[in-house]
Amino acid sequence: MKKQSLLMKFYLIVVFLLMYLPIFYLILFAFNRGDYMTSFTGFSLRHFATMFADTRLMGILLNTFIIALLSSLVATLVGTFGALGIYLLKRRNLQNVFLGLNNILMVSPDVIIGASFLILFTMAGLALGFGSVLIAHIAFSIPIVVLLVLPKLNEMDSALIRAAQDLGARPYQVLSYVILPYIWTGIMAGFFMTITYSLDDFAVTFFVTGNGFTTLSVEIYARARQGIDLSINALSALMFLVSLVLVIIYYFIANHKQKGSGKHKRATVNQQLGGGVQ
Amino acid sequence: MTQPIIEFRNVVKKYDDHVVLNGVDLEIDAGKFYTLLGPSGSGKTTILRLISGFLDASSGDILFDGKRINDVPAEKRQVNTVFQNYALFPSMNVYENVAFGMTLRGVAPAQIKTKVTEMLELVKLKGFEEREIDELSGGQQQRVAIARALANDPKVLLLDEPLSALDYKLRKEMQYELRAIQQRLGITFIFVTHDQEEALAMSDWIFVINDGEVVQNGDPIDIYDEPINHFVADFIGEANIIPGTMVADNLVHFNGQDFKNVDGGMRPNEPVEVVIRPEDVDIVSVEAGAVTVRIDTVSFRGDYFEITASDMDHHEWQIQSTNGVEEGSRVGVTFDPEDIHIMRLNETEEDFDARLEAYDEE
Repeated sequence: MKKQSLLMKFYLIVVFLLMYLPIFYLILFAFNRGDYMTSFTGFSLRHFATMFADTRLMGILLNTFIIALLSSLVATLVGTFGALGIYLLKRRNLQNVFLGLNNILMVSPDVIIGASFLILFTMAGLALGFGSVLIAHIAFSIPIVVLLVLPKLNEMDSALIRAAQDLGARPYQVLSYVILPYIWTGIMAGFFMTITYSLDDFAVTFFVTGNGFTTLSVEIYARARQGIDLSINALSALMFLVSLVLVIIYYFIANHKQKGSGKHKRATVNQQLGGGVQ
Repeated sequence: MTQPIIEFRNVVKKYDDHVVLNGVDLEIDAGKFYTLLGPSGSGKTTILRLISGFLDASSGDILFDGKRINDVPAEKRQVNTVFQNYALFPSMNVYENVAFGMTLRGVAPAQIKTKVTEMLELVKLKGFEEREIDELSGGQQQRVAIARALANDPKVLLLDEPLSALDYKLRKEMQYELRAIQQRLGITFIFVTHDQEEALAMSDWIFVINDGEVVQNGDPIDIYDEPINHFVADFIGEANIIPGTMVADNLVHFNGQDFKNVDGGMRPNEPVEVVIRPEDVDIVSVEAGAVTVRIDTVSFRGDYFEITASDMDHHEWQIQSTNGVEEGSRVGVTFDPEDIHIMRLNETEEDFDARLEAYDEE
C-alpha cells in the first residue's frame, strides 16, 4: 500500500514537473542578466525594466486587459441570462438542445471559431480591430459562463422561486432577491474564468486582429518568431502571475461551499451562498 | 349560512391526457383547520397549488371570498404557503426571511420590525433574528417558514406536508403548536399530509383525497368511525375489513354468523364490507367469544400489543390489546354492535351522507 502511494506521488511529481518546467525555465530567464537563454549569468531585473519602458508593449498590455474585462463583463451578463433562459425552458429536450449547442462551442477548436469569425466580419464589412476582437472574445466566453452558472441554477430548490412569488414577489424581484444571490458564486466564477480565457487567447484573436490592433498573446507570438528577446520572458512571467492570481480567486469562489461560514457573524454574500439550502 | 372563503366547483386538472384532479368540489370555511389527506400522487398537493396559484385549473372555478380567482397570479392572492422543505432564502438571515413579504410591499421598517418580532415570538424563535438559515436545525427552519408565511397576514395559510422532514417527537410537538397558532390567530389553515395520525390529531375537518377525487370529507371522528369505503377504512388507521351481507337493518351476516349492529338503510341481503377497528376487538375466552381465532403474532408497541390472528375462514384479524397473549394460542374475540361499521360497495359520498341522515332520523 505504502509503496503504491509512493509510486503515485512520484508519478504526480514527474507529471507536474514536466508541465511546469518549461514555464519556470522561461520565467527564470526573465531574471537573467545576460541577453540569451543559453546560460544564466546572474540575477537582474533589467528585462522587466526594458519591458515596462516599451510603450508599445504597455499599450498592448492595456488593450489586452480592456478586452478581457469588457468581454468578460458582457459575456457574464449575456451568459447568465442565457443560463436562466435554458433553466426556465419547460421542455426538457429543448433544454438539452440549447445546452448541446452551448457545449459544441466549448469544445470546437479555436482555429475554427477564429476562422469563422474572420469570414463573418469580412462578409459583414466590419473593420478588424478592437471591435472585432471584443466581439469574438465575448462570443467564446459566453458558453463558459453558461456552463458555470447553469449548475448553480439546477442546484437551487425551485421551491425558492415559488416561495418568493407566494410572498408577493414580481418576476424581477424573484430574480434580484432570490435567484441572483443564489447563483452569484457561479456568476463570479464565470467572470474570472472568462477573464483568464480572454487574457491568454491566441488562436481566435490571431484571426480577428487587424493591422493596428493586437493583444499580448499575438504580440508575444510575433516577437518570439523574430528572435530571442528576454523582455518577452519578463512579460510571460507577468502574465503567468496574473493568471495565477485569477485562478486563485476563481478557486476561492468555486470552493466556498466546503468552507463553513463562521457562527453568529454576519456572513458575506459568498459565505451565505456557500451554505446552500437544506 | 356564511360564505365559504375558498370554493372549488368541479375543478379538473390534467396534463395532456393524464388527469390529476377529476372534478373536485369543496368548500372551505374561514377560521378552521382543514386537512387534505391522501396517499402520494392522490392530487392533494395539486389542490394546494391551485389555491396558491402556482397551477392553473384545466376547467372549473376556484372562488376566493366568492370571487373567481382562476386568473389571479400567485403573488396577488391572499394566501401564503409553508413549503415542504421550507424554501427559506439562504442568502438572507432569519429576520430578512420573515420580513421578505413586507419588504416587497414597502412597509415601513419600524412596522416590519414590530411584526417580525411578533411572528418570531409566535413561533418561539425570539432572539434568532440575526441567525443565518444554515445555522438552524430543521425544526427551527420550519418555524421560520411558518413565521415568514404568517407575517404576510394571509387569510388562508397553506401547509404542504411541512412536518414530514421532522423526527417523530418534534413532529408531535409541532402538531400541537400549529393547532395552537391556528386557534390563536383564527386564520384558515389548509394542511396537506399523507399521515392519517397527523390529520386526525390536528384538523377540524378532513378531506380524504384519492385518485384526484374527494373520497370523503368530515370531522376526524366521523371519518375514523364511519369510513365510506374500503380505501378510507384502510387508509385511516388500521382496520379489519371482512366481506359480509346485510341481512336486514341492524343485522349483518359475516364469518358464518349473524351479528347485531347499528347500521341500516340497505337492500335486504345486500353484499357489504364490515369494518371493525383493532382497538374495538376484545380478547376473551373461546366460550365467550363471538369468533374463535388463533394468535399468529404478538408485537409489543409500548402502550399496547399489536396482535394478528386468523379465524377458521382464514380471515386475518388485527387486534390491539393492553394485555399480551401467547402466540399460537386459541382465544375468542368479541366486539359490541356499535363497533361494527358497514360499508356499501361503490357508494358515493352523497348517497352515503343521505343514507346516514335518513337513518339517523328514524
